[in-house]
Amino acid sequence: MSRLYDTVEPSVIDEDMLQKAVEEQGPKDEAGKIAKSEGIDFADVTSLRLEFKNILEIDNMWSFENLTKLQLDNNIIEKIKGLDELVNLVWLDLSFNNIEMIEGLDKLTKLQDLTLYNNRISRIENMDKLTDLHVLSLGNNNLTDLENVIHLRRFRKLRTLNLAGNPFCEQAEYKQYVTAYVSSIDFLDYRLIDEQSRAAATERYHLSIEEMLHNERVADQKYEEEKKREVEEALYREGYVDGLDGPELFEGMYADDNEGKKMKEMPGVDDLMVTFREKFVGICKQIFDYGLQENSKRQEEVSQFWECVMEAKTENKDAGIGHINNFMNMKKRVFAEMNHITDSALLDQKVKEYNKEVTELWDKLMALELQLVDQFEEIIKEFERNLQDMGSTFIENVQGYLSQCRDLENNHHERMLEIAIVTLEKVVKNELDDEINDDLRNLFVDKDTIINAVTSSHDVHLLKIDNKEDDMVTRINGWMKNTIEKIHYEQEVKRNRERVAEINNLIDHLREEIENLEVLQGTGY
Amino acid sequence: MADTEPAVETENTQETLKEEDEEDEVKDVEELSEDAEAFKEELAKIVVHPPTIDLTPKETFDPAEFPSSYKENLPNENLVLQFAENFRRQFVHLYRDRKPLLLNPVNECFVEKFVCTTIRPTQLEYKELYDWDGAAEFVADYLNFETLEPPFELPKRLLSPTTVLKRQKGNCFEYSTLLCSLLIGAGYDAYVVSGYATREVCLADESREICPLLKKKEEIKEEAKKKELKKYTVKPPKDLQSKFELKQAAKAKAEKDKEDAKHRTEEEQRQAELEKPPPDPLYGLRIHSWVIVLHGKREVPESFFVEPFTGLSHPVDSSNYQGIESVWNHVNFWVNMQDCSEGVQNLSYDLGDCTKWEYMFPNTDKPLLQIPEAEEDIMDGLDDEEENAEEQEKQLDLPPTWVEPIKISKKDFEMRCPQGKKNKLYKRAKLEKFAHYLMKDGLVSRLSVYSDRELTDMVMTREYFEHREDKLYNRVHNHQTTWITEYFAPGRAKCVKEHQYKASTPGPESERTMLFYAEARVDGLMKRMETPSEMTEHFENRDDFLYFKHTEFGKKPKKFGPQDKSSGQEPRPILKMQMKYHRNKNKKANDDIAELVYLCSEDKIQITYHTEDKRIASSTREFLKPHNWDEKGATLTFSGDMQQTFQVDPNLPSNKQVEMYEMLLSLLEQEGTCMEGVRESEEEVREILEDRIREEAAEELDISVYDTERNEKAKKHRKDLERQQLEEKMRKQEMEIDYLAPFLAQIGDPEKITRQQAYKLKEDCLMDLKQRLIDKANLIQARFEKETQKLQKKQAWYQQNQVNMLKDDEEAYLEYCSQAMFRIHILELRLNRHKDQAPHKYMMLEQTLRQDPRLAEYF
Repeated sequence: MSRLYDTVEPSVIDEDMLQKAVEEQGPKDEAGKIAKSEGIDFADVTSLRLEFKNILEIDNMWSFENLTKLQLDNNIIEKIKGLDELVNLVWLDLSFNNIEMIEGLDKLTKLQDLTLYNNRISRIENMDKLTDLHVLSLGNNNLTDLENVIHLRRFRKLRTLNLAGNPFCEQAEYKQYVTAYVSSIDFLDYRLIDEQSRAAATERYHLSIEEMLHNERVADQKYEEEKKREVEEALYREGYVDGLDGPELFEGMYADDNEGKKMKEMPGVDDLMVTFREKFVGICKQIFDYGLQENSKRQEEVSQFWECVMEAKTENKDAGIGHINNFMNMKKRVFAEMNHITDSALLDQKVKEYNKEVTELWDKLMALELQLVDQFEEIIKEFERNLQDMGSTFIENVQGYLSQCRDLENNHHERMLEIAIVTLEKVVKNELDDEINDDLRNLFVDKDTIINAVTSSHDVHLLKIDNKEDDMVTRINGWMKNTIEKIHYEQEVKRNRERVAEINNLIDHLREEIENLEVLQGTGY
Repeated sequence: MADTEPAVETENTQETLKEEDEEDEVKDVEELSEDAEAFKEELAKIVVHPPTIDLTPKETFDPAEFPSSYKENLPNENLVLQFAENFRRQFVHLYRDRKPLLLNPVNECFVEKFVCTTIRPTQLEYKELYDWDGAAEFVADYLNFETLEPPFELPKRLLSPTTVLKRQKGNCFEYSTLLCSLLIGAGYDAYVVSGYATREVCLADESREICPLLKKKEEIKEEAKKKELKKYTVKPPKDLQSKFELKQAAKAKAEKDKEDAKHRTEEEQRQAELEKPPPDPLYGLRIHSWVIVLHGKREVPESFFVEPFTGLSHPVDSSNYQGIESVWNHVNFWVNMQDCSEGVQNLSYDLGDCTKWEYMFPNTDKPLLQIPEAEEDIMDGLDDEEENAEEQEKQLDLPPTWVEPIKISKKDFEMRCPQGKKNKLYKRAKLEKFAHYLMKDGLVSRLSVYSDRELTDMVMTREYFEHREDKLYNRVHNHQTTWITEYFAPGRAKCVKEHQYKASTPGPESERTMLFYAEARVDGLMKRMETPSEMTEHFENRDDFLYFKHTEFGKKPKKFGPQDKSSGQEPRPILKMQMKYHRNKNKKANDDIAELVYLCSEDKIQITYHTEDKRIASSTREFLKPHNWDEKGATLTFSGDMQQTFQVDPNLPSNKQVEMYEMLLSLLEQEGTCMEGVRESEEEVREILEDRIREEAAEELDISVYDTERNEKAKKHRKDLERQQLEEKMRKQEMEIDYLAPFLAQIGDPEKITRQQAYKLKEDCLMDLKQRLIDKANLIQARFEKETQKLQKKQAWYQQNQVNMLKDDEEAYLEYCSQAMFRIHILELRLNRHKDQAPHKYMMLEQTLRQDPRLAEYF
């Protein structure tokens, strides 16, 4: 199996070898000549064979960006590496090498056909990213653990599998086991799996497969839910109301508020807290709903804007294409006519006429473009205004809601103060019914301490609310600014520049054409 | 009131005539002087022959053909007739100036029958008759009409629908009665109408009507989508045209339009004037009958008339109908009490409203309109009698119809028209109808359109076919442009849908258009247009996104020297091939070819790419073919100046020479296949044309396997089976008869029987029968004795054990005895009968043997 190192000099893939291989495998004959004189870009190569080259190490492959098929069979490669750049690879052949471990394939997500036949692999692993795999050959390796095959279940598209010649194939249940557990395959070890043997295998491992299936389903479900939640979350974030759906803000207020937590223990605070929480969360919910509503309104506005932009663009484009087509028809006619004219004066006149037409076309196209720019300018301005209006109303309303929160908090604070003072009196008079814990008792040393504690708790709460408000306002302003800027840049600047360049390019080409034609004709007479 | 003034006048003149007659009679009675005698003699010379009016219709029927219900009346039928007569008398009494009603005409056996009972609601098994239009068309097609003689009098006789179907002839009342029977049977609320109509309607003269087949279907006008003004719709560019000029132009145009319209209307009026029928002296008097279908049942949204002669519907305010006297269906009879002086425009068809419709029987299913009290009072004073009559009516039940069930055999139904053919004349058009399978080429109708009313200058012929093997269903021949268009149903070998060609040049390589069922074709070909120098093909849903292919041909190279036959097959040289492709979304727009032109005559290949979404111009590329491109196996050289490229995006890197070279190679290859494609198309056209010629010559009709009448193979098969069965039966019979067979077999089935043998055969045969009869008698006797013995034994046993016997056993014994006695009795009877019959059998056999052809010559 393994070839001796000393008989042939082991090599590493280097520039020369690649160059040679590319030239050998590139176009033949006339095309080959042309290609050679011109040089071949590695980036253009889509398939490459590097077999029987006694390669020990894969290297220097990074410039083959568009490679889809790579054959490295019959070498002495020991470690899979240096393939990370070949992300477009669909077919990889590493058979008849000395590989001991599957690795370094994580970037090859488009891989469909992988051959590792005749290596020294003892474990199926590190292939989680190859979700598109159709064909896998792991025959003549060193696989011993039959249960390791379950690893292949994750390849849902796997149709053909070759495991023949591994130690575990000696086991009596090998075939049925693989058939049962890797249920997606149609071909195993060069043979089609017929319905009967599949049924028998499924029957045999019925129970454990059921369990596995169940687990997979549960995992799938979880994944789905996670995804759904993420989508929702993203939506909330877009509406700038994330974390306002529940008591998150309320809890956030108490998270950094040590005094507040302690003071919850004061008698009579419980009821107060319950109502406070309820009201607070209610307002949060209102903000949340309002935010989503506003968000959908904003989306609607934006999509309407884009729709109109697209409409205007298509209209403009159609008009432009119409002009160009008209011109092209004219051009064909003129060129055909010119072929028959021998009189140079007449020819000159024709050329002049043509050039005039070209200029006219330029005028027309540029006029169209300018018109579009004007139109866009206008609607972008309007859109900007509307967007700003929307933003400011949103901010105002949110601020209104949040000030309600503040009022609630202020009320709550006053009540807390009252309770604190009453409790303090009780503590002082030792009239307190229930035992209170030491932390709280420490606050009730004197009036100042307790009032300070209550006030600081209040301050923390207000700060939280302020933070939330600032966060929302900055985010929406940022979004608006971004959107407008993007529109300005994409629609007004970039698009305009591109179009103008295109028109000029076209006009230059048209002018050139007549000149070339004249040159051709010039040789004629 | 109906339009009855002329009727009144005629009545008056008749009355005066009568008076004069009476005066004459008075004179006769007086004593006569000589002079008077002479005068009388002189007068006697003047003889007037009153025109003998044949009151009975000419055609008579053999009463034997009809069942008794046609020949006599049941008691309650008589009652109804009397009642109707009473109604008529009262009606005449009350409304002296109205025309008589058609109530009790005689039928084919000269028996009076009430009109309502002549309607026989029937639903036939043909699905075409389930809808009113199908039923009306059938009645119109199936019968030939007879006019009323004279046209202003009601018919004296009303034949039953069954007889009408048999004769395939009828007048308007018989038409309506038949149609009404079918419509009521199909669930419509239909009535026979008796009234007045124009001459054109009464004579079924449609030559002033546009043929219904030619009436253009109302085009569904697609409302131009109004450009929705969205919030951010861009403002259109400023309109720099002068408003004033526009206005002036519009004004001028409007004026011109107006003038044109005026001209047009004038022209139309002139034309209409020309086409107006000559005035009708009997206008408004012509009696006609048609059918009205009232809304409500069978989801009919609005009431309408059905003209039985043409099978077409008319709105209830049609000007063709001028008045209604009465309507009836199978349960009741209504007389119109509304004014018809303005035709039928404003009539109400609320039959329950007895101020507008006087009913005959109160047992109507129509809701009766409640008349306000005051009005009723006035009515009370006027018609007491009627009220009495009404009371009588309450007991009166309409007798069941006397008409036999309406039956139409499948064969007759398929023949549609008398003899399977019918011609109809319309305004500038002629329609010929044929029964299915009647014409050899499957023709079912032919519509010829003419440019003039005299039908001399033919413009267009449309022929409709059915059941054709080649799926042709319509052929339109435009005589002015000489274009022929043939339409095919799906299912042909080459999926042809439509074929348009010039009658003068049916051969290949001439002007033609073929449409195909693209979804059935592998190459997605939808349309192929040809002229002698061009071919254009349109495709649909192709994997290579090709949708258009245009080929230009040059003139055939003239061959010098002797013309041989193969020169006709020489293909036309291809000058230019142009292909257009849809956008392939999997490719970049800049690499996706939109248009590919092979300029074969100039050795050039031009490519235009698709336009990118954000751009307006598209990239182009042009190749010059290498000089040795058509040499086989030659290495093609390539240099940079053989191709020119224009890239829309100047920033894109230019393609490499190798790529260009490879592209050129593949394009050259493609050119070859493309040319082959063109040749194949030409070949296909040729094949289709050959097929068509063959099919036209064959004229085969497609016969369903379920059609046992027409399907020759199936028919033959069935006949064979029947014959086989018959033969089997015959053979069996023969076998039974042949008494001699076993005896003949004994002497070895000789060809000819000698006299001796014949005698011996007869002897043997008779002997054998005798023996068998005796044997049978013996057998019966043996059984009889056995049975008797058994019974005696049982009796003996019973007598011995009678003392110590259980009741059950005794009963069983008695049971057995009676059974045995029964058996014995039967055997005795059988023996006696056998004894009786045996000599007869013997005699019969002897008789048969004497008559047997093989022995007959000897006896």
